[in-house]
Amino acid sequence: MDTVVDVGWCQALRTLLDRAHLVTPSGLAALVAEAAGPLGLRPTIWLIDYEQTSLHAMPVAGRETPGPIPVDGSLPGRAFASVVSLYVGGSGTQAGRWWVPVVNGTERFGLIEFTPVDGTDGQGRDFVTRCELLAGLVGHLLGTIMTGGDGIEQLRRTRPMSVAAELLWRQLPPLTSSTEAAVVTAILQPCYDVGGDGFDYVLENTGACLLVLDAMGRGLGAGLACAVALAAIRATRRAGRGLYDQARAADAALLDQFQDARFATAVLAELDLETGRLRYVNAGHPAPLLLRGGRLVRQLSDGRRMPLGVDDPSVEVAEESLEPGDRLLLYTDGVTEARADGGERFGVDRLVDLTERHAGSGLPAPETLRRLAHTVTAHQGGPPADDATLMLVEWSATASHRTVPGARQVIRDDEGRS
Amino acid sequence: MTDDEILTVSRADTTGSVPVLAAVGEIDHDSRDILREAADLALRDGGSRLVIDLGDVSFCDSGGLGLFLELHRLTTARGGALRLARVPPPVQLVLGATNLDRLLHLEPTVEDAVRAFR
Repeated sequence: MDTVVDVGWCQALRTLLDRAHLVTPSGLAALVAEAAGPLGLRPTIWLIDYEQTSLHAMPVAGRETPGPIPVDGSLPGRAFASVVSLYVGGSGTQAGRWWVPVVNGTERFGLIEFTPVDGTDGQGRDFVTRCELLAGLVGHLLGTIMTGGDGIEQLRRTRPMSVAAELLWRQLPPLTSSTEAAVVTAILQPCYDVGGDGFDYVLENTGACLLVLDAMGRGLGAGLACAVALAAIRATRRAGRGLYDQARAADAALLDQFQDARFATAVLAELDLETGRLRYVNAGHPAPLLLRGGRLVRQLSDGRRMPLGVDDPSVEVAEESLEPGDRLLLYTDGVTEARADGGERFGVDRLVDLTERHAGSGLPAPETLRRLAHTVTAHQGGPPADDATLMLVEWSATASHRTVPGARQVIRDDEGRS
Repeated sequence: MTDDEILTVSRADTTGSVPVLAAVGEIDHDSRDILREAADLALRDGGSRLVIDLGDVSFCDSGGLGLFLELHRLTTARGGALRLARVPPPVQLVLGATNLDRLLHLEPTVEDAVRAFR
């Protein structure tokens, strides 16, 4: 390592940290450019949109802002999808450059494009390691400051959000979280119009709590019911009480708040990440799928009670034993009931097959769900009839490390076919 | 029923004591108000008993289930009940998937449903 070069990189990190206290979300891109300038680098921050279809460049004053790049079929998209830094060689007048993933924890925010300028040698492994360091800091900064202004939210939206969707998105945890032992990831569609679907989870070192919800009805009414049930369950969980009490708290909150028999189907689960013991309650919801070694082991169809919001004291919490490497897939009926023009349902078989094919081929868990969700949308060929939510848990250190940037070999594409 | 009506509801009482509503078509978030209005009319003046004949219903979503639940609560609060008669397979499927068949009263025929009130 070159000590002089390292001092330069430390100075860049210091500039970022010092100035971050007073930066606005829209001002972050210019700050990163300013910090990286003395290193002979021109960085561009790209953020993924809500539909997870395209990457959008953050504008920097005095620079032309490039247009969006699709994730599917582009080299930068490959870096985003695989959460691995990718070098694209130069061609003609265009210099070679690195595309480095930006995550917060392990939630994928986008990429930073690092273009070496002024004769900077950007080829080596040391170089990209430092880019990853800078991108790592930017990921955390984005997570900290992004809700302090509207600039980033606006960049990530390709159209306005409904009131219900605006309400709901603010209730949700990050789309992806990982620990040494496991990864939990979820996706929600249609992202700008979602109403009744929602999810929640927490991931600790010793275990995970999972929740997928589908509130009856449409629009803001359904969104409100979903938010009430979600908050009741979360508050009860944080008070240290178990699945039965959590479901009963949601019953009480929905019954108390709404006069018109509003209900939500849901699965509430706790996974012990030391023993593999899964405990769950199913309130009138599609049964979670337990996947192992590329196939469906079983649908977890016990622990049944009536939907949340229907006073049902009868439930018994069900139990299941997971093995290391298992995948657990929770979903709402908008996934399996999605109908093609000809009337054919998406169905459980297709869902299992695609999940195992994507996850089995080594894709990071959030990328497996991104592809699944887009396949469900494409299956319908038009506006979806219902909200569709997917949550995937992979109990595997290998799967978890696939969500961490810099944990694997970089990819090089020296042909420069960007 | 004309093509543009996805749900029609008519009175089909078999005795003078219990109102029977015959639903034909699809019950969803958009059409359920048609059934709600008919039920409100049948239960006006504090009525507590209602039978809905679902024999000619081809589809029911969570909007329909929500209405059944509302009518169940209303009639039960008044000391009566809601009884669903001739529940066809697609409706049985959603009632079973949501476990609401544990709460709602299902009867094989309209006659059984009316008789159950005696």
